[in-house]
Amino acid sequence: MSLTRRIWLTILGLTLAAFLGSLLVNIHGARAYLEEQLTMKNLDNANALALSMSQIPDKDPVTIELLLSAQFDTGHYQEIRLLDPKGGVLVERQQEAGMEAGAPAWFVGLFPIRATPGIAQVQDGWKQYGSIHLASHAQFAHRDLWRTSLRLSGWFLIGGLLAGLLGSLALRAVTRPLDKVVEQARAISERRFIRIEPPRVPELDSVVSAMNDMVARVRQMFADEATRLDTLRDRLSHDPVTGLANREHFMGRLHDALESEDAPPHGVLLILRLVDLAAINREFGHAGADRLLGEIAGVLETARQGHERWHPARLGGPDFALLAENETAPETIASPLVERILNLRDEHWTPIEDLFHIGAIRYRRGDAIAAVLTGADRALALAEQTAPNTWMASEQDASAVEVIPAETWREIFADAISRGRLKLAHFPVIDNHGGAMHRESFIRLRTRGDGPWRPAGDFMPIAVRLNFAASLDLDVIRMALEELRQHDGAIAINLTAETIADWEFRARLAELLKTHAELCPRLWLEVPEYGVFGHIEAFRDLSREVKRLGSKIGIERFGHRLAEIDLLADLGVDYVKVDTSFIRDIDRQPGNQEFLRGLCRMARNLGILVIAVGVRDERELALLPELGFDGATGPAVGDDRDNLAGLMNF
Amino acid sequence: MTCRLVPLRAASLWIAALAVVSLIAGLAAETLDFRALDHDRIARLAEQRHGAHVVQSLRQWRDMMQAGAGLPEEDRARRVNEFFNRRIQFGEDIDIWKVNDFWATPVETMARAAGDCEDFSIAKYFTLRLLGVPDQRLRLIYARARIGGPRSEISQAHMVLGYYADPEAEPLILDNLIHDARPASRRPDLTPVFSFNGEGLWVGNAATGNPSASATARLSRWRDLIARMKTEGFE
Repeated sequence: MSLTRRIWLTILGLTLAAFLGSLLVNIHGARAYLEEQLTMKNLDNANALALSMSQIPDKDPVTIELLLSAQFDTGHYQEIRLLDPKGGVLVERQQEAGMEAGAPAWFVGLFPIRATPGIAQVQDGWKQYGSIHLASHAQFAHRDLWRTSLRLSGWFLIGGLLAGLLGSLALRAVTRPLDKVVEQARAISERRFIRIEPPRVPELDSVVSAMNDMVARVRQMFADEATRLDTLRDRLSHDPVTGLANREHFMGRLHDALESEDAPPHGVLLILRLVDLAAINREFGHAGADRLLGEIAGVLETARQGHERWHPARLGGPDFALLAENETAPETIASPLVERILNLRDEHWTPIEDLFHIGAIRYRRGDAIAAVLTGADRALALAEQTAPNTWMASEQDASAVEVIPAETWREIFADAISRGRLKLAHFPVIDNHGGAMHRESFIRLRTRGDGPWRPAGDFMPIAVRLNFAASLDLDVIRMALEELRQHDGAIAINLTAETIADWEFRARLAELLKTHAELCPRLWLEVPEYGVFGHIEAFRDLSREVKRLGSKIGIERFGHRLAEIDLLADLGVDYVKVDTSFIRDIDRQPGNQEFLRGLCRMARNLGILVIAVGVRDERELALLPELGFDGATGPAVGDDRDNLAGLMNF
Repeated sequence: MTCRLVPLRAASLWIAALAVVSLIAGLAAETLDFRALDHDRIARLAEQRHGAHVVQSLRQWRDMMQAGAGLPEEDRARRVNEFFNRRIQFGEDIDIWKVNDFWATPVETMARAAGDCEDFSIAKYFTLRLLGVPDQRLRLIYARARIGGPRSEISQAHMVLGYYADPEAEPLILDNLIHDARPASRRPDLTPVFSFNGEGLWVGNAATGNPSASATARLSRWRDLIARMKTEGFE
């Protein structure tokens, strides 16, 4: 029973006891008073009658009887008897039955009024003539008592209602601060480390202060750990000289771009190579060479500005790279680059004639990474053979990309689900013991009735642009709920980063989930990391609503925004899926291992499950439990019947 | 009511009697237990209250009761009558107690060695009750007393104790005006008006238990008397 209810019942019980007690005492007192009055009346009247009779000189029986009858008939008596000294009845008058009752029988039974009969002596000269025994009727007393009780009960009712009203107001005032405390405690148990304003109630104030302190310490701990991990990750993934992503990190990106579910369908890879770094070293010294490398990196950084999906990197030595996802024309990227680097050379490095070459290749998602890299190398070799400071593109695969106009996309999105153009592809996620944790379900869409199933990367960016992302997400959740209804196990669904900021989407999502409340505990919802930190308040809202229904909430592609990880402390996140770029080749990356170990430790402290994504082989898989992972997914774990690889060849 | 020697108007006796009776009857009744009597305690309390001289009187009173216990009832009555008539001086309440009308307890009467007709009657009544005489055989009787011989026109309000050996018999009158107890027929100077005894006044109220707590307790002279006797050590 809740504390509030207990207090309520206590107040109710106390009020009831107090009022019932006072009612009983009152009735009892009134009854005692009435009994006493009746007894007094009995005695007084008996004596008055006896006094009158004593004065009759010859005790004429008729007069005596008349006196008694007159007294009886004009008063309110149960009985009057005149007994002779031996106890024999001389005259007797008794109230016959049939008088109207003054109060209900049960009440009379409960509170009987028993007045002592009055006894008085009648004198005949010196001799005793007899004694008067007189008992008054208790009926009117009962009626009085009954009315008093009714009136008191009325007051009791009014008083009780008033007390109840005041009590509930007082209770609300008392428990309002308590509610906040409970809310905080609940939040902490859901791993949302929130602080609240300490209430002005001293007892609660100390509780809240203690909890706030604890929350502050926990958050500080996470912040410290996050900073450490962030630094570590930075060191692991960045080239110390230029600050660009290093080779390992870049290769992860490239893998992702070629293999990931939501990667754009195509892109361009550029490789830039300085011609003779050793000569530059000799000529300008080590520091000079480093400065040149930094300036080249600066050019790449500048080029990246405004392109969310361009990823520059230094591959080591004289080699730089730029991965430009979702681009199709190498020349639009390479030509400005060449121009800028030449400008740079003209400004500061005039002695260097032959500075660099660029090789570019256009790729499509699903291409083999080795083939793409080879293609880029071939283009670079071509450029080196052609002329100093030039770029070349390798036309590895010139097949045309299918172009669908926006209008057509709108039509496709609008009735995708009703026309059977959507489906879910499921990928297993296992825990450390190989048991199923859930299935991660990805959206698939086909643009024609007989067309190939396309992955999210093909159409989600377009859907976001055309404002269809929210309705597609809802479609996916509907399908997932249907799947949950038909099969056991849990399903995880990716929500689009942009849609969670949409208030209307969240409202419709909550409504949809509420109508399937019984399935919600088996539904896991996840949002990409950049979506979470981009719309932190929206995500907090979403998390609260979704968790209220029992669903789990998670973050996917996790690990890039560790500096903000302390925000996780009050989001109530249930699980994170660590980005595949950290998992790749983990068995050969001691640095990443250290990073992931720290990340898992921190997540574990927050009670958050950590799942590795993109696990490719047994060696990687075997290492994960030791690092602290709770689950894994990827090719090593298993694919859907029609896996991604099969989708590529449309 | 007093026993002043004043010419009696017929009505005044009536009214006085009625008033007193209602006061007595006002509300009955503390009860006294006449079987258990702790003489030592009574004597101790009386000594504290009235001084050492009372102890002697009380001892005589106790001796008289012990001596009378074995006698026939009527002899007990005569013995008690004689005891009080001999030792107690007649006096008006206004002189003894400085109030117009006061019912003294037997101990108070013995302490002052003085009392009016009511004090005599009360002392005799309770002593006889303590000696085991049932209530039914005793009556406190309001009577008109003619003073100054059979032809006298002067009357006074008076109270005597009547002992009825049999309910229908002529009572034996225990009176302080003349020394010895005589049957009623030999008391032509007294005209009875009304009588009462503890019956009906004793009886506690069945429902409320102890009635001394009730608001009317002090309204009744009878109960006032009983209450005071309780403080004197009577159970």
